[in-house]
Amino acid sequence: MPEMSKMKKPDVKVVLLGDMNVGKTSLLHRYTERKFKDTISTVGGAFYLKQWGPYNISIWDTAGREQFHGLGSMYCRGAAAVILTYDVTNWQSLAELEERFLSLTDTANHDCIYAVVGNKADLTDPKAQLSRDSDVAPEDRTECEEDRTEPEVLSACPTPPASPASLSGVMLHKQVAPEDAAAFYGRILRYKGLDEKSSLPAEKMCFETSAKTGYNVDALFEALFDLVLPSILRKRNENQESPTVDLEECRGTSSKRSRTSCC
Amino acid sequence: MERDNHQEGEAEGVKICDPPSESNPPADTLATSLSLLGNHMFPDPVERNDSATVNKEEPADSLPSVDTAEEQSQDANLDSNQVTKLEAEETENSGQCHSDVSSQSQSSEDAAADNGQGDSGEFVVTMLAKAKLEEQGIGVKGRSSPLLEAGTQESPAFISHRDEDVTADSWRQHRKHVFVLSEAGKPIYSRYGSEEALSSTMGVMMALVSFVQSGDNIIRSVYSEGHTVVFLQKGPLVLVCVSSSRQSERQLRGELLYVYYQIISMLTQASISRIFEHKKNYDLRRLLAGSEKILDGLLNLVDSDPSFLLAAVHCLPIASSLRDSLSQILQKAITPNLVFSILIANNQLLTIIQEKTVIEDARLEPADVHLLLNLIGASSAFQAGEIWTPICLPLFNPDCYFYAYISYLDPPECTVCLLLLSTDKEAFYAVAECKRKIEEAMVAQNSLSLIAKVQSYSVSQVGVSDLRHFMYKPFDVPDNYRQLTQFTSPEMEAPYSSEEEKMRLLDLYRYMHSRIHSTSRPLKLIYHVAERETLLAWVTSKFELYTCFSPLVTKACAITAITKLLRWIKKEEDRLFIRYPPKYSTTPNPSKSSRGGKSDQQDSTDNGFLSLL
Ligand SMILES: Nc1nc2c(ncn2[C@@H]2O[C@H](COP(=O)(O)OP(=O)(O)OP(=O)(O)O)[C@@H](O)[C@H]2O)c(=O)[nH]1
Ligand SMILES: [Mg+2]
Repeated sequence: MPEMSKMKKPDVKVVLLGDMNVGKTSLLHRYTERKFKDTISTVGGAFYLKQWGPYNISIWDTAGREQFHGLGSMYCRGAAAVILTYDVTNWQSLAELEERFLSLTDTANHDCIYAVVGNKADLTDPKAQLSRDSDVAPEDRTECEEDRTEPEVLSACPTPPASPASLSGVMLHKQVAPEDAAAFYGRILRYKGLDEKSSLPAEKMCFETSAKTGYNVDALFEALFDLVLPSILRKRNENQESPTVDLEECRGTSSKRSRTSCC
Repeated sequence: MERDNHQEGEAEGVKICDPPSESNPPADTLATSLSLLGNHMFPDPVERNDSATVNKEEPADSLPSVDTAEEQSQDANLDSNQVTKLEAEETENSGQCHSDVSSQSQSSEDAAADNGQGDSGEFVVTMLAKAKLEEQGIGVKGRSSPLLEAGTQESPAFISHRDEDVTADSWRQHRKHVFVLSEAGKPIYSRYGSEEALSSTMGVMMALVSFVQSGDNIIRSVYSEGHTVVFLQKGPLVLVCVSSSRQSERQLRGELLYVYYQIISMLTQASISRIFEHKKNYDLRRLLAGSEKILDGLLNLVDSDPSFLLAAVHCLPIASSLRDSLSQILQKAITPNLVFSILIANNQLLTIIQEKTVIEDARLEPADVHLLLNLIGASSAFQAGEIWTPICLPLFNPDCYFYAYISYLDPPECTVCLLLLSTDKEAFYAVAECKRKIEEAMVAQNSLSLIAKVQSYSVSQVGVSDLRHFMYKPFDVPDNYRQLTQFTSPEMEAPYSSEEEKMRLLDLYRYMHSRIHSTSRPLKLIYHVAERETLLAWVTSKFELYTCFSPLVTKACAITAITKLLRWIKKEEDRLFIRYPPKYSTTPNPSKSSRGGKSDQQDSTDNGFLSLL
């Protein structure tokens, strides 16, 4: 198919998983568009191509709703990285990751890396109300203040507060501690039959983020992209050596892995 | 709406059933609970208290029935001197009977008017008072009434974004409420307010439904002075509309059917049946959570877009040469198991092409297109991506999924949208490849900038001075048989540019439509002098037409104007409508893909490998 040559072929696939409402779409939106906007619950999955240096990274933002559960393993097929997202103010969202989403990753690459991400940290941690990512433009902050009336924002506020930090009227209770996430990360490794010592450590793979303020968002995606680099390079090499093998090799992997998938 | 009869046998089916009179439920119970429902739902409860649902316009003996169903129950009818009448659709007499409870119930509601609130009435009063308390969050637990049993089960805590206070007057004053509940009385959806807060109201509704059902009847509607309550039961779901718009029962039922179809489009009929067979008490919100905005959006469209009323799609008027070239572009970008390719601009169709063998099985119904357009509207929040999602087209096949690829061709404006439907769940990358081809071809032909120039047309182009607006829907004619039903309509311009005025005109159209499609006295032509305009509606075997003129236009003038209008439409036909939807064949073996249209999904070894990309 010669016309296909124009298409930017994705080098690697990253998948966002997690219960509905934890903020997957918001995280991706913050990262790619540098904004926090009102979202609509995702239907099915949405595919994005992100240019990262010379590489094309495909990102699947999946729907967390139970309705779309059956599709999950399809989105994960051949993934090089999976971002398991929960909401720090909602214990159940972490539990769901283990109960509902972890098994979807059976179709991912055997060397797939896993990140555990607790989003909405701005609701529980004052430090997350200030973006850690330096490049968040000030106007973005104004925007996010207007966007949603968060429950903790005191309504009787005639003039918008100057900085997000002054929003900290009431902090929500943090239901998921970083240790809980780290413990979950350990269980992921066990589930995958991976040796903890030879795998990436929990400190490196567990994040707390805020799509609203941008806190840790770039750090998350960039860390992941760095980590999948070897996977990209390997794939590129294979393609260079024998461009035709590509298909065969993919088929092989797919049949090996799809046995465990539910559909 | 005609669609109504389409797939519904139940109402007609039971029409003849007449419960033995001794098993008639105590009349005052039902009537009182209705009036109390009214009392609870509707504004100014005080005023309405005693007269709510009883609105006797006609004495019972003036129901000269010709309906066979009614004939059979004549005795019951006469005996009780009641205001209830059979749903005498199709064959109803000309009297403008205003039925209060047009269930097929033969119970004698009038007793309520006489007795006021008797013993059982008080019974219901107590229960409803309780329901009320629960809504205010006071929660009265304890002995629950048999009538409400089905409805008062606690629903699990669920965070809802619908924070509206359901006890406030403003809540009652919404023009059109829509509720969806399960047969067990579990709330599934409410247009306004949270389902939890309304669980007891919904319980009352379900109680009404099952109450009438226990007499082997089906409740269809309840009328009060300012409100119409319409019920629609579809499988395990019960849909209720409480409307103060002056729409006909039939139109409202048609709208409920759209809501039902939208739910089906997300879950499929088969899986809903399966779920409720398995567990009668299932909380369907588990599966629908997150879809409220899709249903909200649908209801807003239903109110503001006449496509739904006319059960036809509105396509964007463009030069037929441009439409043809777009169609050809789509036709060249195909892949196995692709069945529909649809190009949309500003939420209106530009073109639609379909797999050859699929069109032979069935054509795409307007309602399915409406649901697709609504889905696109509701999922466009984050527009740079390419969406891949299962969707069921209920009229095409209510039990299976298609996989929809949705992508905008003109980011960041995001007005031109490509929708590709495949029967293969795994085909995303193959279908996405089709998009690249389409994009390329469109760049080469400069299509996007041509599309950007396209506008809806102004009524002034017709050149008839007093004509302010119109809607024209041609019917199937032999040479375009099986084509998508479409209609054409100019932009709404002054004096209909404000939202309120738009709505007012639409309401007038809805009124004309209900007269034309009246079940009791269908009309072919109506000349209606309204306060600020004059309307003329006309149906023939070839078309349905609604026109709006400035006031004081005589009937004769209007007819002359319409003749001109029809001539203009004929001349512009190729631009106004998608004339000959092109077809294509994606597979050398056509039987396969035709089957694909009907089966959930099939083996996809041909393109499965692409998903590893
Ligand atoms: N305070 C706060 N709110 C957030 C944050 N991220 C997302 N939200 C809000 O949480 C809600 C859900 O966000 P989405 O990004 O749509 O969630 P999702 O995980 O994509 O949900 P699904 O698409 O249904 O699976 C929205 O109302 C967001 O505004 C965050 O970092 N902080
Ligand atoms: Mg999302």
